[in-house]
Amino acid sequence: MAVELAPRPTRRAAPTTRRRKPVLDRIWHFAVFGGPGTLVYVCFVLAPIVVSFGYSLTNYNPFNPPMRYVGLQNYRLLLDDEAFRTSLKITTILTAIVVIVPNVLGLGIAVLLDRRGWLYNALRSVFFVPVVLSSVVVSIIWTRLLDFDGPINQGLRAVGVTNPPGWLSDPNIALYSLGWILSWQMLGFCVVVYLAGLQGVPAELIEAAAIDGAGPVRRFWRVSWPLLAPSLTINTVVLLISAFKIFDHVKIITNGGPGTGTTATIAFTVLQEGFDANHGGYASAEAIIMLIIIATASAVTLKLLQRREVNL
Amino acid sequence: MKDRIPWLRPVVALAVGAVFFLPLYIALVNVFKQGHLISKEPVSLPIPPTLDNIIAVMRRPDGLYWVSLTNSIIVTSVSIIILTVLSAMLGHYLARSRSRWTRWLMLLLLCGLMIPPQVILLPIVQVLRALHLMLTLPGLILFNVGYYVPFGVFVFTGFIRSVPVELEESAAIDGANRFQVFWRIVFPLLRPATASVLIFLGVWIWNDFIDPLIILGPGLGTTVTTGVYRSIGQYQADFGSLFAMMFLATLPVLLFFLALQKQFVKGLTGGATKG
Repeated sequence: MAVELAPRPTRRAAPTTRRRKPVLDRIWHFAVFGGPGTLVYVCFVLAPIVVSFGYSLTNYNPFNPPMRYVGLQNYRLLLDDEAFRTSLKITTILTAIVVIVPNVLGLGIAVLLDRRGWLYNALRSVFFVPVVLSSVVVSIIWTRLLDFDGPINQGLRAVGVTNPPGWLSDPNIALYSLGWILSWQMLGFCVVVYLAGLQGVPAELIEAAAIDGAGPVRRFWRVSWPLLAPSLTINTVVLLISAFKIFDHVKIITNGGPGTGTTATIAFTVLQEGFDANHGGYASAEAIIMLIIIATASAVTLKLLQRREVNL
Repeated sequence: MKDRIPWLRPVVALAVGAVFFLPLYIALVNVFKQGHLISKEPVSLPIPPTLDNIIAVMRRPDGLYWVSLTNSIIVTSVSIIILTVLSAMLGHYLARSRSRWTRWLMLLLLCGLMIPPQVILLPIVQVLRALHLMLTLPGLILFNVGYYVPFGVFVFTGFIRSVPVELEESAAIDGANRFQVFWRIVFPLLRPATASVLIFLGVWIWNDFIDPLIILGPGLGTTVTTGVYRSIGQYQADFGSLFAMMFLATLPVLLFFLALQKQFVKGLTGGATKG
Protein backbone atom coordinates (compact mmCIF):
# COMPACT_ATOMS: atom_id res chain seq x y z
CA MET A 1 0.00 0.00 0.00
CA ALA A 2 1.40 3.35 -0.98
CA VAL A 3 1.85 5.72 1.85
CA GLU A 4 1.98 9.38 1.11
CA LEU A 5 5.01 10.78 2.88
CA ALA A 6 5.16 14.18 1.24
CA PRO A 7 3.50 16.87 3.37
CA ARG A 8 -0.01 17.43 2.16
CA PRO A 9 -0.59 20.81 0.55
CA THR A 10 -3.16 23.02 2.19
CA ARG A 11 -6.76 22.60 1.14
CA ARG A 12 -6.84 25.47 -1.34
CA ALA A 13 -3.61 24.57 -3.10
CA ALA A 14 -3.95 23.51 -6.70
CA PRO A 15 -4.40 19.74 -6.85
CA THR A 16 -1.88 19.46 -9.68
CA THR A 17 0.99 20.16 -7.28
CA ARG A 18 0.05 17.11 -5.24
CA ARG A 19 1.66 13.81 -6.01
CA ARG A 20 -1.14 11.54 -7.16
CA LYS A 21 -1.48 7.97 -6.06
CA PRO A 22 -1.32 5.17 -8.64
CA VAL A 23 -4.53 4.63 -10.59
CA LEU A 24 -5.09 1.07 -9.39
CA ASP A 25 -4.80 2.15 -5.80
CA ARG A 26 -7.34 4.91 -6.30
CA ILE A 27 -9.79 2.55 -7.97
CA TRP A 28 -9.34 0.08 -5.14
CA HIS A 29 -9.93 2.86 -2.61
CA PHE A 30 -13.20 3.83 -4.29
CA ALA A 31 -14.33 0.25 -4.76
CA VAL A 32 -13.92 -0.52 -1.08
CA PHE A 33 -15.01 2.74 0.56
CA GLY A 34 -17.35 4.35 -1.93
CA GLY A 35 -18.46 1.39 -3.98
CA PRO A 36 -21.12 -0.34 -1.87
CA GLY A 37 -23.00 2.84 -0.98
CA THR A 38 -22.85 4.17 -4.51
CA LEU A 39 -23.95 0.86 -5.96
CA VAL A 40 -27.08 0.58 -3.82
CA TYR A 41 -27.90 4.23 -4.49
CA VAL A 42 -27.51 3.78 -8.23
CA CYS A 43 -29.57 0.58 -8.28
CA PHE A 44 -32.40 1.83 -6.10
CA VAL A 45 -32.62 5.54 -6.89
CA LEU A 46 -30.76 6.67 -10.02
CA ALA A 47 -31.49 3.74 -12.28
CA PRO A 48 -35.19 3.69 -11.33
CA ILE A 49 -35.46 7.36 -12.27
CA VAL A 50 -34.05 6.58 -15.70
CA VAL A 51 -36.35 3.57 -16.01
CA SER A 52 -39.30 5.72 -14.94
CA PHE A 53 -38.47 8.15 -17.69
CA GLY A 54 -38.29 5.22 -20.09
CA TYR A 55 -41.70 3.95 -18.94
CA SER A 56 -43.17 7.41 -19.42
CA LEU A 57 -42.52 7.08 -23.17
CA THR A 58 -44.45 3.82 -23.39
CA ASN A 59 -47.91 2.46 -22.76
CA TYR A 60 -46.48 0.21 -20.00
CA ASN A 61 -49.10 -1.72 -18.09
CA PRO A 62 -47.94 -4.78 -16.12
CA PHE A 63 -51.22 -6.60 -16.80
CA ASN A 64 -51.60 -5.64 -20.42
CA PRO A 65 -48.42 -6.46 -22.38
CA PRO A 66 -46.80 -5.95 -24.82
CA MET A 67 -45.15 -2.64 -23.99
CA ARG A 68 -45.07 -0.22 -26.90
CA TYR A 69 -43.11 2.98 -27.49
CA VAL A 70 -45.55 5.90 -27.73
CA GLY A 71 -43.20 8.88 -27.68
CA LEU A 72 -44.46 11.94 -25.88
CA GLN A 73 -48.08 10.87 -26.08
CA ASN A 74 -48.42 10.45 -22.29
CA TYR A 75 -47.15 13.96 -21.72
CA ARG A 76 -49.50 15.35 -24.34
CA LEU A 77 -52.42 13.56 -22.69
CA LEU A 78 -51.36 14.95 -19.32
CA LEU A 79 -51.77 18.52 -20.52
CA ASP A 80 -55.44 17.89 -21.26
CA ASP A 81 -56.08 15.76 -18.19
CA GLU A 82 -58.46 17.66 -15.94
CA ALA A 83 -57.72 15.38 -12.99
CA PHE A 84 -53.99 15.96 -13.29
CA ARG A 85 -54.39 19.72 -13.49
CA THR A 86 -56.62 19.61 -10.43
CA SER A 87 -54.03 17.59 -8.57
CA LEU A 88 -51.38 20.17 -9.47
CA LYS A 89 -53.60 22.93 -8.12
CA ILE A 90 -54.37 21.00 -4.95
CA THR A 91 -50.71 20.24 -4.36
CA THR A 92 -49.85 23.91 -4.84
CA ILE A 93 -52.48 25.05 -2.32
CA LEU A 94 -51.43 22.41 0.18
CA THR A 95 -47.75 23.24 -0.25
CA ALA A 96 -48.44 26.95 0.22
CA ILE A 97 -50.31 26.26 3.46
CA VAL A 98 -47.65 23.91 4.76
CA VAL A 99 -44.79 26.27 3.90
CA ILE A 100 -46.43 29.36 5.39
CA VAL A 101 -48.38 28.23 8.48
CA PRO A 102 -45.66 26.30 10.35
CA ASN A 103 -43.06 28.93 9.40
CA VAL A 104 -45.14 31.80 10.82
CA LEU A 105 -46.49 30.01 13.88
CA GLY A 106 -43.12 28.33 14.47
CA LEU A 107 -41.35 31.68 14.50
CA GLY A 108 -43.89 33.13 16.94
CA ILE A 109 -43.64 30.16 19.27
CA ALA A 110 -39.84 30.13 19.08
CA VAL A 111 -39.76 33.79 20.12
CA LEU A 112 -42.13 32.92 22.96
CA LEU A 113 -39.98 30.00 24.14
CA ASP A 114 -36.64 31.79 23.73
CA ARG A 115 -35.81 31.76 27.46
CA ARG A 116 -33.89 29.42 29.74
CA GLY A 117 -35.54 27.15 32.28
CA TRP A 118 -37.23 23.78 32.59
CA LEU A 119 -40.63 25.09 31.50
CA TYR A 120 -39.35 26.24 28.11
CA ASN A 121 -37.32 23.06 27.59
CA ALA A 122 -40.37 20.94 28.39
CA LEU A 123 -42.58 22.96 26.03
CA ARG A 124 -40.02 22.66 23.26
CA SER A 125 -40.23 18.87 23.63
CA VAL A 126 -44.02 18.99 23.57
CA PHE A 127 -43.98 20.86 20.27
CA PHE A 128 -41.50 18.42 18.82
CA VAL A 129 -43.44 15.25 19.68
CA PRO A 130 -45.63 15.24 16.52
CA VAL A 131 -42.49 15.44 14.38
CA VAL A 132 -41.37 12.03 15.63
CA LEU A 133 -44.86 10.54 15.36
CA SER A 134 -45.75 8.47 12.35
CA SER A 135 -47.95 10.08 9.72
CA VAL A 136 -50.34 7.17 10.22
CA VAL A 137 -50.78 7.96 13.91
CA VAL A 138 -51.20 11.68 13.32
CA SER A 139 -53.72 11.00 10.57
CA ILE A 140 -55.84 8.70 12.71
CA ILE A 141 -55.84 11.05 15.70
CA TRP A 142 -57.00 13.96 13.54
CA THR A 143 -59.53 11.90 11.60
CA ARG A 144 -61.13 11.10 14.94
CA LEU A 145 -60.91 14.71 16.20
CA LEU A 146 -62.36 16.23 13.04
CA ASP A 147 -65.06 13.62 12.59
CA PHE A 148 -68.50 15.14 12.08
CA ASP A 149 -69.50 13.85 15.52
CA GLY A 150 -65.98 14.02 16.92
CA PRO A 151 -64.70 15.96 19.93
CA ILE A 152 -64.18 19.24 18.08
CA ASN A 153 -67.71 19.41 16.73
CA GLN A 154 -69.07 18.20 20.08
CA GLY A 155 -67.29 21.15 21.64
CA LEU A 156 -68.64 23.54 19.00
CA ARG A 157 -72.19 22.28 19.54
CA ALA A 158 -71.76 22.66 23.28
CA VAL A 159 -70.96 26.35 22.87
CA GLY A 160 -74.00 26.87 20.65
CA VAL A 161 -72.84 26.32 17.06
CA THR A 162 -75.87 24.51 15.69
CA ASN A 163 -74.39 23.51 12.36
CA PRO A 164 -70.65 22.83 12.71
CA PRO A 165 -68.76 22.17 9.46
CA GLY A 166 -67.89 18.70 8.25
CA TRP A 167 -64.16 19.31 8.47
CA LEU A 168 -63.24 16.27 6.43
CA SER A 169 -66.51 15.56 4.62
CA ASP A 170 -67.14 18.99 3.06
CA PRO A 171 -65.30 19.15 -0.30
CA ASN A 172 -64.68 22.88 0.18
CA ILE A 173 -63.05 22.47 3.58
CA ALA A 174 -61.29 19.09 3.54
CA LEU A 175 -58.19 20.38 1.76
CA TYR A 176 -57.68 23.13 4.35
CA SER A 177 -58.23 20.68 7.21
CA LEU A 178 -55.53 18.54 5.66
CA GLY A 179 -53.25 21.56 5.43
CA TRP A 180 -53.84 22.29 9.08
CA ILE A 181 -53.08 18.71 10.14
CA LEU A 182 -49.80 18.75 8.21
CA SER A 183 -48.91 22.14 9.66
CA TRP A 184 -49.58 20.85 13.17
CA GLN A 185 -47.23 17.96 12.59
CA MET A 186 -44.43 20.07 11.08
CA LEU A 187 -44.72 22.98 13.50
CA GLY A 188 -42.31 21.53 16.08
CA PHE A 189 -39.58 21.20 13.49
CA CYS A 190 -39.77 24.93 12.70
CA VAL A 191 -39.89 25.83 16.40
CA VAL A 192 -36.70 23.91 17.15
CA VAL A 193 -34.83 25.28 14.14
CA TYR A 194 -35.89 28.89 14.86
CA LEU A 195 -35.05 28.50 18.56
CA ALA A 196 -31.55 27.38 17.64
CA GLY A 197 -31.28 30.38 15.33
CA LEU A 198 -32.46 32.78 18.02
CA GLN A 199 -30.02 31.34 20.52
CA GLY A 200 -27.26 31.94 18.01
CA VAL A 201 -27.96 35.68 17.86
CA PRO A 202 -25.18 37.37 19.88
CA ALA A 203 -26.58 38.98 23.05
CA GLU A 204 -24.24 41.98 22.57
CA LEU A 205 -26.03 42.92 19.36
CA ILE A 206 -29.43 42.91 21.07
CA GLU A 207 -28.07 44.91 24.01
CA ALA A 208 -26.37 47.41 21.74
CA ALA A 209 -29.65 47.94 19.88
CA ALA A 210 -31.46 48.35 23.20
CA ILE A 211 -28.96 50.98 24.33
CA ASP A 212 -29.49 52.78 21.05
CA GLY A 213 -33.16 52.99 21.99
CA ALA A 214 -34.70 50.24 19.87
CA GLY A 215 -37.83 48.68 21.40
CA PRO A 216 -38.42 44.92 21.46
CA VAL A 217 -40.27 44.90 18.13
CA ARG A 218 -37.59 46.83 16.29
CA ARG A 219 -34.86 44.79 17.97
CA PHE A 220 -36.48 41.67 16.61
CA TRP A 221 -37.06 42.83 13.03
CA ARG A 222 -33.81 44.77 12.65
CA VAL A 223 -31.37 42.52 14.54
CA SER A 224 -32.68 39.00 15.13
CA TRP A 225 -34.74 38.46 11.97
CA PRO A 226 -31.94 39.08 9.45
CA LEU A 227 -29.72 36.73 11.43
CA LEU A 228 -32.43 34.06 11.30
CA ALA A 229 -32.06 33.82 7.52
CA PRO A 230 -30.35 30.39 7.60
CA SER A 231 -33.16 29.02 9.80
CA LEU A 232 -35.74 30.38 7.38
CA THR A 233 -33.90 28.73 4.49
CA ILE A 234 -33.80 25.33 6.19
CA ASN A 235 -37.43 25.45 7.28
CA THR A 236 -38.77 26.61 3.95
CA VAL A 237 -36.85 24.10 1.86
CA VAL A 238 -37.63 21.18 4.17
CA LEU A 239 -41.32 22.11 4.35
CA LEU A 240 -41.48 22.62 0.59
CA ILE A 241 -40.00 19.23 -0.20
CA SER A 242 -42.04 17.34 2.37
CA ALA A 243 -45.30 19.12 1.52
CA PHE A 244 -44.87 18.46 -2.15
CA LYS A 245 -44.65 14.70 -1.74
CA ILE A 246 -47.50 14.34 0.75
CA PHE A 247 -49.12 10.98 0.30
CA ASP A 248 -49.63 9.22 3.65
CA HIS A 249 -52.05 11.74 5.16
CA VAL A 250 -54.15 11.96 2.00
CA LYS A 251 -54.32 8.18 1.69
CA ILE A 252 -55.37 7.66 5.31
CA ILE A 253 -57.53 10.69 6.07
CA THR A 254 -59.49 11.39 2.88
CA ASN A 255 -58.31 8.85 0.29
CA GLY A 256 -58.45 11.64 -2.27
CA GLY A 257 -62.04 12.66 -1.51
CA PRO A 258 -64.56 13.81 -0.47
CA GLY A 259 -66.14 13.83 -3.91
CA THR A 260 -63.75 13.20 -6.78
CA GLY A 261 -60.16 14.23 -6.24
CA THR A 262 -60.79 17.21 -3.97
CA THR A 263 -57.71 16.32 -1.94
CA ALA A 264 -55.80 14.16 -4.43
CA THR A 265 -52.23 15.49 -4.44
CA ILE A 266 -49.79 14.64 -7.24
CA ALA A 267 -48.04 12.07 -5.09
CA PHE A 268 -51.40 10.44 -4.45
CA THR A 269 -52.45 10.54 -8.10
CA VAL A 270 -49.17 9.02 -9.28
CA LEU A 271 -49.53 6.01 -7.02
CA GLN A 272 -53.18 5.56 -7.85
CA GLU A 273 -52.51 5.58 -11.57
CA GLY A 274 -49.45 3.37 -11.17
CA PHE A 275 -50.54 0.77 -8.64
CA ASP A 276 -54.33 0.82 -8.54
CA ALA A 277 -55.17 1.55 -12.18
CA ASN A 278 -51.93 -0.08 -13.46
CA HIS A 279 -51.36 2.70 -15.98
CA GLY A 280 -47.60 2.41 -15.54
CA GLY A 281 -46.58 4.55 -18.49
CA TYR A 282 -48.99 7.35 -17.71
CA ALA A 283 -48.13 7.31 -13.99
CA SER A 284 -44.44 7.50 -14.85
CA ALA A 285 -45.05 10.58 -16.97
CA GLU A 286 -46.83 12.18 -14.01
CA ALA A 287 -43.97 11.18 -11.73
CA ILE A 288 -41.39 12.73 -14.06
CA ILE A 289 -43.35 16.00 -14.18
CA MET A 290 -43.54 15.88 -10.39
CA LEU A 291 -39.78 15.39 -10.14
CA ILE A 292 -39.10 18.32 -12.48
CA ILE A 293 -41.37 20.64 -10.51
CA ILE A 294 -39.95 19.69 -7.12
CA ALA A 295 -36.35 19.98 -8.33
CA THR A 296 -36.94 23.40 -9.89
CA ALA A 297 -38.97 24.72 -6.98
CA SER A 298 -36.48 23.67 -4.32
CA ALA A 299 -33.45 24.87 -6.30
CA VAL A 300 -35.02 28.28 -6.93
CA THR A 301 -36.17 28.66 -3.32
CA LEU A 302 -32.78 27.66 -2.01
CA LYS A 303 -30.99 30.18 -4.25
CA LEU A 304 -33.39 33.02 -3.39
CA LEU A 305 -33.27 32.43 0.34
CA GLN A 306 -29.54 31.90 0.55
CA ARG A 307 -28.99 35.27 -1.07
CA ARG A 308 -30.54 36.85 2.04
CA GLU A 309 -28.16 35.16 4.43
CA VAL A 310 -25.54 37.41 6.00
CA ASN A 311 -22.26 36.40 7.52
CA LEU A 312 -21.41 37.73 10.94
CA MET B 1 -33.20 40.87 28.10
CA LYS B 2 -35.78 40.96 30.90
CA ASP B 3 -39.49 40.76 30.18
CA ARG B 4 -41.48 43.77 31.31
CA ILE B 5 -44.34 41.69 32.75
CA PRO B 6 -42.56 38.61 34.12
CA TRP B 7 -45.58 36.30 34.45
CA LEU B 8 -46.99 36.95 30.99
CA ARG B 9 -44.54 34.86 28.96
CA PRO B 10 -44.84 31.59 30.93
CA VAL B 11 -48.64 31.88 31.02
CA VAL B 12 -48.96 32.48 27.27
CA ALA B 13 -46.39 29.78 26.53
CA LEU B 14 -48.28 27.28 28.68
CA ALA B 15 -51.60 28.17 27.07
CA VAL B 16 -50.25 27.79 23.53
CA GLY B 17 -48.56 24.54 24.50
CA ALA B 18 -51.79 23.21 26.02
CA VAL B 19 -53.83 23.94 22.88
CA PHE B 20 -51.15 22.34 20.75
CA PHE B 21 -51.02 19.28 23.00
CA LEU B 22 -54.79 18.74 23.12
CA PRO B 23 -54.95 16.21 20.23
CA LEU B 24 -52.22 14.13 21.82
CA TYR B 25 -53.96 14.34 25.18
CA ILE B 26 -57.20 13.07 23.69
CA ALA B 27 -55.42 10.20 21.96
CA LEU B 28 -53.60 9.31 25.16
CA VAL B 29 -56.56 9.33 27.56
CA ASN B 30 -58.62 7.21 25.19
CA VAL B 31 -56.04 4.44 25.32
CA PHE B 32 -56.89 3.94 28.99
CA LYS B 33 -60.60 4.64 28.79
CA GLN B 34 -63.41 2.10 28.80
CA GLY B 35 -64.83 1.53 25.33
CA HIS B 36 -68.32 2.89 25.86
CA LEU B 37 -67.02 6.17 27.30
CA ILE B 38 -64.80 7.06 24.34
CA SER B 39 -67.41 8.48 21.98
CA LYS B 40 -69.54 9.89 24.79
CA GLU B 41 -66.88 11.88 26.61
CA PRO B 42 -63.68 11.87 24.55
CA VAL B 43 -62.00 14.68 26.44
CA SER B 44 -62.52 13.54 30.05
CA LEU B 45 -59.81 11.84 32.07
CA PRO B 46 -59.96 8.03 31.97
CA ILE B 47 -61.69 7.31 35.26
CA PRO B 48 -61.66 4.49 36.13
CA PRO B 49 -58.57 3.72 34.00
CA THR B 50 -58.41 0.40 32.22
CA LEU B 51 -55.75 -1.66 30.47
CA ASP B 52 -58.34 -3.68 28.56
CA ASN B 53 -57.67 -1.94 25.26
CA ILE B 54 -53.95 -2.59 25.41
CA ILE B 55 -54.43 -6.20 26.50
CA ALA B 56 -56.94 -6.77 23.70
CA VAL B 57 -54.43 -5.56 21.09
CA MET B 58 -51.59 -7.64 22.55
CA ARG B 59 -53.75 -10.79 22.65
CA ARG B 60 -55.12 -10.57 19.12
CA PRO B 61 -55.38 -14.09 17.74
CA ASP B 62 -53.51 -13.15 14.54
CA GLY B 63 -50.72 -11.55 16.58
CA LEU B 64 -50.78 -8.47 14.33
CA TYR B 65 -49.10 -6.29 16.92
CA TRP B 66 -46.25 -8.67 17.69
CA VAL B 67 -45.63 -9.51 14.02
CA SER B 68 -45.57 -5.82 13.12
CA LEU B 69 -43.33 -4.96 16.03
CA THR B 70 -40.83 -7.68 15.15
CA ASN B 71 -40.80 -6.63 11.49
CA SER B 72 -40.34 -2.96 12.36
CA ILE B 73 -37.51 -3.70 14.76
CA ILE B 74 -35.70 -5.90 12.23
CA VAL B 75 -36.17 -3.52 9.29
CA THR B 76 -35.24 -0.41 11.25
CA SER B 77 -32.22 -1.76 13.09
CA VAL B 78 -30.68 -3.62 10.15
CA SER B 79 -31.29 -0.66 7.81
CA ILE B 80 -29.72 1.92 10.07
CA ILE B 81 -26.67 -0.22 10.87
CA ILE B 82 -25.96 -0.87 7.18
CA LEU B 83 -26.67 2.77 6.36
CA THR B 84 -24.27 4.02 9.01
CA VAL B 85 -21.42 1.80 7.81
CA LEU B 86 -21.95 2.47 4.09
CA SER B 87 -22.56 6.18 4.33
CA ALA B 88 -19.71 6.78 6.78
CA MET B 89 -17.26 5.07 4.42
CA LEU B 90 -18.68 6.75 1.31
CA GLY B 91 -18.74 10.07 3.15
CA HIS B 92 -15.11 9.61 4.14
CA TYR B 93 -14.14 8.80 0.58
CA LEU B 94 -15.96 11.87 -0.75
CA ALA B 95 -14.58 14.20 1.91
CA ARG B 96 -10.97 13.10 1.42
CA SER B 97 -10.73 12.31 -2.26
CA ARG B 98 -10.05 15.28 -4.48
CA SER B 99 -10.64 13.91 -7.95
CA ARG B 100 -12.99 15.96 -10.01
CA TRP B 101 -15.54 13.25 -10.58
CA THR B 102 -16.18 12.81 -6.86
CA ARG B 103 -17.71 16.27 -6.89
CA TRP B 104 -20.19 15.01 -9.48
CA LEU B 105 -20.90 11.97 -7.38
CA MET B 106 -21.55 14.21 -4.38
CA LEU B 107 -23.95 16.32 -6.42
CA LEU B 108 -25.80 13.24 -7.64
CA LEU B 109 -26.11 12.02 -4.06
CA LEU B 110 -27.42 15.38 -2.85
CA CYS B 111 -30.14 15.24 -5.52
CA GLY B 112 -31.30 12.08 -3.82
CA LEU B 113 -32.30 14.10 -0.77
CA MET B 114 -35.39 15.45 -2.48
CA ILE B 115 -36.52 12.61 -4.72
CA PRO B 116 -40.05 11.57 -3.82
CA PRO B 117 -40.49 7.80 -3.47
CA GLN B 118 -43.40 7.96 -5.94
CA VAL B 119 -40.98 8.63 -8.78
CA ILE B 120 -39.01 5.42 -8.23
CA LEU B 121 -41.43 2.94 -6.70
CA LEU B 122 -42.78 1.54 -9.95
CA PRO B 123 -39.38 0.46 -11.33
CA ILE B 124 -38.23 -0.63 -7.87
CA VAL B 125 -41.06 -3.12 -7.65
CA GLN B 126 -39.73 -4.58 -10.92
CA VAL B 127 -36.16 -4.69 -9.64
CA LEU B 128 -37.17 -6.36 -6.39
CA ARG B 129 -39.38 -8.84 -8.22
CA ALA B 130 -36.48 -9.76 -10.51
CA LEU B 131 -34.28 -10.32 -7.44
CA HIS B 132 -37.07 -12.32 -5.75
CA LEU B 133 -37.00 -9.81 -2.92
CA MET B 134 -40.46 -8.37 -3.42
CA LEU B 135 -42.71 -8.89 -0.35
CA THR B 136 -39.70 -9.64 1.85
CA LEU B 137 -37.96 -7.78 4.64
CA PRO B 138 -34.53 -7.86 2.90
CA GLY B 139 -36.16 -6.15 -0.09
CA LEU B 140 -37.46 -3.34 2.07
CA ILE B 141 -34.11 -3.04 3.87
CA LEU B 142 -32.24 -2.84 0.57
CA PHE B 143 -34.60 -0.14 -0.66
CA ASN B 144 -34.18 1.82 2.59
CA VAL B 145 -30.40 1.67 2.26
CA GLY B 146 -30.48 3.04 -1.28
CA TYR B 147 -33.07 5.68 -0.55
CA TYR B 148 -31.50 7.06 2.64
CA VAL B 149 -27.80 6.79 1.73
CA PRO B 150 -27.78 10.43 0.51
CA PHE B 151 -28.83 11.69 3.93
CA GLY B 152 -26.15 9.65 5.69
CA VAL B 153 -23.48 10.79 3.25
CA PHE B 154 -24.61 14.41 3.60
CA VAL B 155 -24.21 14.30 7.39
CA PHE B 156 -20.94 12.34 7.43
CA THR B 157 -19.18 14.28 4.67
CA GLY B 158 -19.91 17.57 6.38
CA PHE B 159 -18.61 16.24 9.66
CA ILE B 160 -15.51 14.51 8.30
CA ARG B 161 -14.39 17.76 6.66
CA SER B 162 -14.05 19.21 10.15
CA VAL B 163 -11.83 16.33 11.35
CA PRO B 164 -8.13 17.20 10.84
CA VAL B 165 -6.60 15.06 8.12
CA GLU B 166 -3.25 15.06 9.94
CA LEU B 167 -4.58 12.44 12.36
CA GLU B 168 -5.10 10.04 9.50
CA GLU B 169 -1.76 10.82 7.93
CA SER B 170 0.19 10.18 11.08
CA ALA B 171 -1.64 6.90 11.60
CA ALA B 172 -0.78 5.93 8.03
CA ILE B 173 2.87 6.78 8.62
CA ASP B 174 2.79 4.56 11.68
CA GLY B 175 1.84 1.72 9.35
CA ALA B 176 -1.93 1.51 9.66
CA ASN B 177 -3.74 0.49 6.50
CA ARG B 178 -6.80 2.28 5.18
CA PHE B 179 -9.27 0.16 7.10
CA GLN B 180 -7.42 0.57 10.35
CA VAL B 181 -7.13 4.31 9.82
CA PHE B 182 -10.85 4.57 9.18
CA TRP B 183 -12.26 2.24 11.80
CA ARG B 184 -9.73 2.89 14.59
CA ILE B 185 -9.01 6.59 14.14
CA VAL B 186 -11.72 8.30 12.13
CA PHE B 187 -14.91 6.45 12.96
CA PRO B 188 -14.66 6.91 16.75
CA LEU B 189 -14.30 10.64 16.16
CA LEU B 190 -17.54 10.74 14.17
CA ARG B 191 -19.74 9.88 17.13
CA PRO B 192 -21.94 13.03 16.93
CA ALA B 193 -22.56 12.49 13.21
CA THR B 194 -23.22 8.80 13.77
CA ALA B 195 -25.73 9.71 16.47
CA SER B 196 -27.57 12.09 14.12
CA VAL B 197 -27.69 9.52 11.35
CA LEU B 198 -28.89 6.72 13.63
CA ILE B 199 -31.51 8.89 15.29
CA PHE B 200 -33.02 10.54 12.23
CA LEU B 201 -32.95 7.52 9.98
CA GLY B 202 -34.21 5.37 12.85
CA VAL B 203 -37.26 7.57 13.30
CA TRP B 204 -37.89 7.98 9.57
CA ILE B 205 -37.64 4.30 8.78
CA TRP B 206 -39.71 3.32 11.82
CA ASN B 207 -42.44 5.76 10.78
CA ASP B 208 -42.24 5.05 7.06
CA PHE B 209 -45.60 4.15 5.60
CA ILE B 210 -45.73 4.13 1.82
CA ASP B 211 -42.63 1.99 1.18
CA PRO B 212 -43.55 -0.90 3.49
CA LEU B 213 -47.14 -0.62 2.23
CA ILE B 214 -46.02 -1.29 -1.33
CA ILE B 215 -42.88 -3.40 -0.89
CA LEU B 216 -44.17 -5.70 1.86
CA GLY B 217 -47.56 -5.87 0.18
CA PRO B 218 -50.95 -6.76 1.57
CA GLY B 219 -50.07 -10.07 3.24
CA LEU B 220 -49.17 -10.42 6.90
CA GLY B 221 -45.90 -8.60 6.27
CA THR B 222 -46.71 -5.42 8.12
CA THR B 223 -44.57 -2.95 10.00
CA VAL B 224 -46.11 -1.06 12.89
CA THR B 225 -47.33 1.74 10.61
CA THR B 226 -48.95 -0.46 8.00
CA GLY B 227 -50.21 -2.68 10.84
CA VAL B 228 -52.05 0.28 12.37
CA TYR B 229 -53.32 1.21 8.92
CA ARG B 230 -54.69 -2.29 8.31
CA SER B 231 -56.42 -2.35 11.68
CA ILE B 232 -58.37 0.87 10.99
CA GLY B 233 -61.03 -1.11 9.16
CA GLN B 234 -61.24 -3.85 11.76
CA TYR B 235 -61.56 -1.42 14.65
CA GLN B 236 -64.20 0.72 12.95
CA ALA B 237 -66.23 1.23 16.12
CA ASP B 238 -63.61 0.17 18.64
CA PHE B 239 -61.63 3.36 19.08
CA GLY B 240 -60.14 2.12 22.34
CA SER B 241 -58.34 -0.73 20.59
CA LEU B 242 -57.30 1.45 17.65
CA PHE B 243 -55.77 4.04 19.96
CA ALA B 244 -54.13 1.29 22.02
CA MET B 245 -52.59 -0.14 18.85
CA MET B 246 -51.26 3.30 17.90
CA PHE B 247 -49.96 3.85 21.40
CA LEU B 248 -48.07 0.56 21.38
CA ALA B 249 -46.72 1.27 17.90
CA THR B 250 -45.51 4.71 18.92
CA LEU B 251 -44.15 3.87 22.37
CA PRO B 252 -40.69 2.69 21.23
CA VAL B 253 -40.04 5.76 19.10
CA LEU B 254 -41.43 8.06 21.77
CA LEU B 255 -39.18 6.59 24.48
CA PHE B 256 -36.27 6.80 22.06
CA PHE B 257 -37.03 10.49 21.51
CA LEU B 258 -37.43 11.30 25.20
CA ALA B 259 -34.15 9.56 26.01
CA LEU B 260 -32.18 11.24 23.21
CA GLN B 261 -33.87 14.66 23.04
CA LYS B 262 -30.60 16.57 23.29
CA GLN B 263 -29.07 14.71 20.35
CA PHE B 264 -32.24 15.26 18.33
CA VAL B 265 -32.04 19.00 18.79
CA LYS B 266 -28.30 19.02 18.18
CA GLY B 267 -28.70 17.07 14.97
CA LEU B 268 -31.30 19.48 13.65
CA THR B 269 -29.54 22.63 14.72
CA GLY B 270 -26.12 21.58 13.52
CA GLY B 271 -27.52 22.06 10.03
CA ALA B 272 -29.58 25.10 10.87
CA THR B 273 -26.82 27.26 12.23
CA LYS B 274 -24.38 26.33 9.51
CA GLY B 275 -27.00 26.95 6.84
